[in-house]
Amino acid sequence: MWKGGGRMKRECSSVSKLLDKYFDQELTLEERSLVEGHLPDCPACRRALESMETLRNFIRSPVEEAVEKETFPWVWEKIERGIQQREGPGLWESLRDWLSLPFLLKRKIWIPAVATAVILILVMAPLLFKKISSYPVPSVVEYVESETYNVMIYQLENQDVTVIWLFNGPEEET
Amino acid sequence: MEMSEAELISRCQQGDRDALREIFNQYQKKVYRVAYGVVRQREEALDIVQEVFIKLFRSIQHFKGKSHFYTYLYRMTMNTAIDHTRKMKKVPSSSVDEDEGFQFSDDPEKRPDRIFAHKELEEKVRRAMDQLSPDQKAALIFREVEGLTYQEIAEAMGCSIGTVMSRLHYGRKRVQELLKDYVEGGR
Repeated sequence: MWKGGGRMKRECSSVSKLLDKYFDQELTLEERSLVEGHLPDCPACRRALESMETLRNFIRSPVEEAVEKETFPWVWEKIERGIQQREGPGLWESLRDWLSLPFLLKRKIWIPAVATAVILILVMAPLLFKKISSYPVPSVVEYVESETYNVMIYQLENQDVTVIWLFNGPEEET
Repeated sequence: MEMSEAELISRCQQGDRDALREIFNQYQKKVYRVAYGVVRQREEALDIVQEVFIKLFRSIQHFKGKSHFYTYLYRMTMNTAIDHTRKMKKVPSSSVDEDEGFQFSDDPEKRPDRIFAHKELEEKVRRAMDQLSPDQKAALIFREVEGLTYQEIAEAMGCSIGTVMSRLHYGRKRVQELLKDYVEGGR
């Protein structure tokens, strides 16, 4: 039965958009009827389907052959060895895993962590500077003057040490 | 006693290597098919299979069961295979397997000229596939090699069905253009 040229062309234009889905068996029943009704009268669409089939064979056949004859020798043993070698993530993997965390989760971790670190630094810095720069200053406990000796007794601040300093008269030291 | 897939995954997440071995036994061929579909060379495909199962063991605790396990594994395999091809891009591959020598045979398919033509075509197909974008290549392999439905491909690739269809259509079109002489000849 001859279909008018214009009608055929319009139908071909619609059907050609469905050919991939027809080839992959993803059409609805209605769409499939439309394509199968068109194909007997359209060599171009039939050729397009044949090309897809040929291409599929080119892509698939070598893979099928390879899988059929493959015995996977020693693959499991290599996998086990690989797992043992990589057991315990290294520093780089840990960092990479941490960096791959979702963005939201990262913010919940690093913002409080940075804030805590800053607070600690601000609190500890004065203590550290005080500790570094402080020097035990002796404090005088007693000073006695006499005709023979002058005595000065003083204690160092951070040490349990008492110094008794005797010196002769106001001008000489012992 | 046979375990369900869910039990195997759960045990694997707890570090049970026997469970991983069972998963390997069940899925090694599927993973190899996808890997071979991408690289089309035996040794490289086996390396990819090895890498995939090592990665699986280390990352399976992140699998929450929101998708099917096999699509999760397919995605991992495809990503690993594509990363592998990027690294190997600078290394030229030979078109003829050096292990296969020419042997006289009455079988027409085993004639040296046929073997060579077969290998030559395989090489042309591999190079044509390499011209595709990674997404087009992945869609084509999932469909043509593994026979996944559009829905399954969409799940494996993390995209919509419409995107899958587009990638398949333009991927097929591009490879057909590159293999025009072979495809139209129906060889």
